[in-house]
Amino acid sequence: MSRLTVVFLLAAASALAHVGSPDVYYDGQAGPYRLLVTIRTPSVIPGVAEIEVRSAANDVETVHIVPTPLLSEKSRSNGEATFAPVPDLAQRSKDDPQFFTGSLWMMTSGSWQVHVTAEGPQGKGELSVPVPALSSSTKKMQGPIGLVLAALGLLLLVGAVSIVGAGVREGQLEPGLAPDPARVRRARWVMAATAVFVLAMAALGGLWWNSEAGDYDKHIYKPLLMSATLDNGGRLILHLTDPGWARWRKVDDLVPDHNHLMHLYVISLPEMDKVWHLHPDRVDAGVFAKDLPPMPGGRYALYGDIVHADGLPETLVTEISLPEVPGKPLEGDDATGTGPPISKADPNSTVAQLADGSRMIWEREPGPLHAKRAMFFRFRLEDADGKPAHDMELYMGMPGHAAFVRTDRSVFAHVHPSGSVPMAALGLTQNAGDGGAAMAGMSGMAGMAGMDHSGMMQALPPEISFPYGFPKPGDYRIYVQAKRGGKVETGIFDARVEK
Amino acid sequence: MATISTSFSPAPRVPWYVWCAVLGVTSAMIGGQWDISWHRSIGRDTFWTPAHIAIYLCGVLAGLACGYLILATTFGNLSQLRGTAVKMWGFEAPLGAFIAAWGGLAMLASAPFDDWWHSAYGLDVKILSPPHVLLILGNLAVNTGTLILILGMMNRARAEFRNKLEWLFLYIGGVVLVGLMLMIMEFSWHSLMHNGIYYRVVCMVVPLVLAGVARASEKRWAATTVAAVYWLFWAGMGWILPLFPAEPKLGPVYHQVTQFVPPEFPMLLFIPALALDLLWSRTRDWNLWKKSAVSGLVFLAALIAVQWPFSSFLQLPEARNWFFHTNIFDYNARRAWMHYTFFKPDAPTTFLLEMCMAAAAAMVTVRLGFAWGDWMRRVRR
Repeated sequence: MSRLTVVFLLAAASALAHVGSPDVYYDGQAGPYRLLVTIRTPSVIPGVAEIEVRSAANDVETVHIVPTPLLSEKSRSNGEATFAPVPDLAQRSKDDPQFFTGSLWMMTSGSWQVHVTAEGPQGKGELSVPVPALSSSTKKMQGPIGLVLAALGLLLLVGAVSIVGAGVREGQLEPGLAPDPARVRRARWVMAATAVFVLAMAALGGLWWNSEAGDYDKHIYKPLLMSATLDNGGRLILHLTDPGWARWRKVDDLVPDHNHLMHLYVISLPEMDKVWHLHPDRVDAGVFAKDLPPMPGGRYALYGDIVHADGLPETLVTEISLPEVPGKPLEGDDATGTGPPISKADPNSTVAQLADGSRMIWEREPGPLHAKRAMFFRFRLEDADGKPAHDMELYMGMPGHAAFVRTDRSVFAHVHPSGSVPMAALGLTQNAGDGGAAMAGMSGMAGMAGMDHSGMMQALPPEISFPYGFPKPGDYRIYVQAKRGGKVETGIFDARVEK
Repeated sequence: MATISTSFSPAPRVPWYVWCAVLGVTSAMIGGQWDISWHRSIGRDTFWTPAHIAIYLCGVLAGLACGYLILATTFGNLSQLRGTAVKMWGFEAPLGAFIAAWGGLAMLASAPFDDWWHSAYGLDVKILSPPHVLLILGNLAVNTGTLILILGMMNRARAEFRNKLEWLFLYIGGVVLVGLMLMIMEFSWHSLMHNGIYYRVVCMVVPLVLAGVARASEKRWAATTVAAVYWLFWAGMGWILPLFPAEPKLGPVYHQVTQFVPPEFPMLLFIPALALDLLWSRTRDWNLWKKSAVSGLVFLAALIAVQWPFSSFLQLPEARNWFFHTNIFDYNARRAWMHYTFFKPDAPTTFLLEMCMAAAAAMVTVRLGFAWGDWMRRVRR
């Protein structure tokens, strides 16, 4: 069968685990205490991560934090083990006793976890938050520091030449004697030679600096590349290739997250008014395929979320132009939704009208939204007559899924009620035996109250909340998905975010 | 030569600014070892760790002492030193003061550079990075400046005062050697001592100092004394540091650490140095090139004869005690590193090539050391 290959473009890969959204948000239960943990990852590794912990109630007295590498099941079974360093005591805010902050060093690139221990009158509680530690950039020297160091460097270079000159001219003179003209001349020649030497050394130093900077550049995270094609049968084929970054990162060591190896968001361009949440199957090492549902012809952005065996999540990005696809009906956990075109976006609207007349409402707090602020995004589902939805179900084990996408597509984050960490990585922290925590934390997640530990279903509340913080100002589109009455509903909202 | 007024006669006591500079270089020497141990046992640091303060104190003390010396000689109450001063940019002071002040400035300039480097490329923990090399260069300049400050006085002094200054000079020679040995630490682990690169790197550094200082000194056992200063300091740090508790403050922690990790047991450099002192005492009339060639070979042969078997001993259970402390590992030492084995041996041709380069390096550095020593003997200011 000949393949109809369509044009695909590789999008700029400025991604971390999500795209352009490196901070980690996690809402979980540390024993009796409910905590919202924000981890602001460093842009260079080794580097310092800033940790913020907010307790839901004023019942936490101390918070200790400690980072450890997150190992894959295979590494652990091979006997590779690490010990925890001494935990740090997070500082309690004087103004807000429920807010604790600290800094932690992330020494190597890869998958880490931050272990949080909270203590208070109800005893001790623990949770672990998986964190991808990845270098995203190196800096160029600019501004006042550049000027100051350049001035000092110049002073040192000229000083070195002058000192050598003084030494040759007078250093070996008996006390009281003045240098004769021959000695002065000799000093000048030596100074000239020294100047050439120090300039050569400075140039060599510059080359060394560039070479070191080049080495660091090689450590900057490069996500796996994803290319997309469509075969004649309307099947989307995704090829994952390694652009070369870290030898330990593999194309084919993926673990399921909510039962799927890949969660693929397909968003129509340029209006971003149609979204599909699909789950391609692995057909070969680094190759995924999915029968597409009916889709109009046009350009689409593709975001593929995957998780490696060591818990490292990646979002792979590409674009594809499709002809009209007759397609096959959606199946399993696949879902789709439609909203207003982005050109008609209303960032003040808090209501998404759903197909059957029901509504999804964003319970947004009054006032502007600000970047870099951890907050809960709460949504409520109502049926057609305005009553709270009574038939909520888990969608892939979660009360809801949300994708935050900046309209210029420089940001994409797939968030759950537990936060921005993938459940597969959270599972690894639990298996590491130092969280017990992780799953206990999940049971306390917002909106999870209806799920007991045995997995037996009780009625879920009609509200879902997602902890997240916009990474930078701008216009965003939020795709919120929840399941009720056996059907996945998708609400699309817009947000304008200020500094 | 024209004569200008002179009223200088050496003071019978070592001036305070010399002691201040000596204190500074000693502080940096201790701080350097302490800082490396800090990185191997605690891991995390800030600019304000005690070890960093000890290092930068060198720059501050050298800056203060030499700044005072420069200003007081030029404008103030040390104007009697002008006859023994050199002139630079309108200032007058002993040559060593300018060199040490330059070193202090370089050390202080390295601090913001290092801080920026960490923010740009990550918190590196390696010894040889551009800002660290600037720091080490600055420290070496302070050491050299102090050496020359002492030399100027020593070469003008007589009898007992000269004797006192000679010992101070040899001590600073030992400090210079310690600084250089810190710089090559990444190439001188005892597990590398059956590989050619170790011998090549040591030969590129050590003979320069031994030959230079011995040539400038009148002491018969000058090279041995310098090597002994290195050994005593290094071994002393190895015995003292583990007495203090420490625990890792960053991961990954592959090995539990409960005390400061000591530096590796020092090389027995006093034996090759003794061989050189004996050789030089019997070859005073030799041509310097011939003497350098023979000295280089003697140094390398003695180094191999001592360190090859000694490093084998350090791999044995008998060395796993408080004295040789080969039983203490870094917090980030993986199990594979703790097997008391040597690095993969060189291929025979590689080893031979490395040894030839080591011999050549030793000959060249001895000759350079002689030239440096001859120059130092003539320093008067």
